Amino acid sequence: MSEGDVFAALANPTRREVLRLLLERGEQPVQQLADHFDMRRPSLSEHLRVLKDAGLVTEQPVGRQRFYALRPEPLRQVADWLGPYERFWRARLADLREVLDGLPDE
Amino acid sequence: MSEPAAIAVDQFLAHPPAKVWRALTDSDLLARWLMPNDFRPVPGHRFTFRTTPRPGQGFDGVVHCEVLELDEPRRLRWAWRGGQLDTVVTWTLVPEGRGTRLFLEHAGFDPEDPVQRRTFTLLDGGWRSHVWRRLEQALTHLA
Repeated sequence: MSEGDVFAALANPTRREVLRLLLERGEQPVQQLADHFDMRRPSLSEHLRVLKDAGLVTEQPVGRQRFYALRPEPLRQVADWLGPYERFWRARLADLREVLDGLPDE
Repeated sequence: MSEPAAIAVDQFLAHPPAKVWRALTDSDLLARWLMPNDFRPVPGHRFTFRTTPRPGQGFDGVVHCEVLELDEPRRLRWAWRGGQLDTVVTWTLVPEGRGTRLFLEHAGFDPEDPVQRRTFTLLDGGWRSHVWRRLEQALTHLA
């Protein structure tokens, strides 16, 4: 699994919405996802395939249906990339608050 | 689809904008919460922040800055260059109740770098604020 695959998978708003639905509502059959998007199943299936190839969802056949579930592990590399900058500024802002709290008003 | 290529962080501070502005524009105060510097509140002034070098990332520990905008006590903008970065940091102060909401935007991450571009595309808008935190929590539970 190359890094680019995960970022490419996430670059599409429909696929991000799929991940949001799986995160908030848990495992779902493909038809339930298709209903949400008002989208033809073949195009949704293509998005699901990209997500599956990137390791972001798992597919589980149950009877005649296919259930999809979120697999967040590959997102760690995204968090790792952004982390340093955002952590830096959050820490600095916390320090700023301390400096201000210790500073007399003008 | 918008691609802001920026980090945005905001923080409520229980102090009036004039006081927050002072902490952002006084060299000694800046040094206490950000980094040692030779900042002066003059448009066009070039200055540096100095921190720990990270040779592995091609960063010598010096951030080369320039005052791009100085609109007391509302907006302050710096060019922010160092290592691989050629970016812009914008501070916006908005009165909120008896205090100030301070918005930080760190923008201009290399749009030619596919990893950076995709990351910021991913992290824009509501998806970032509403979903990303929970995904991060999910990741924490995995660890």
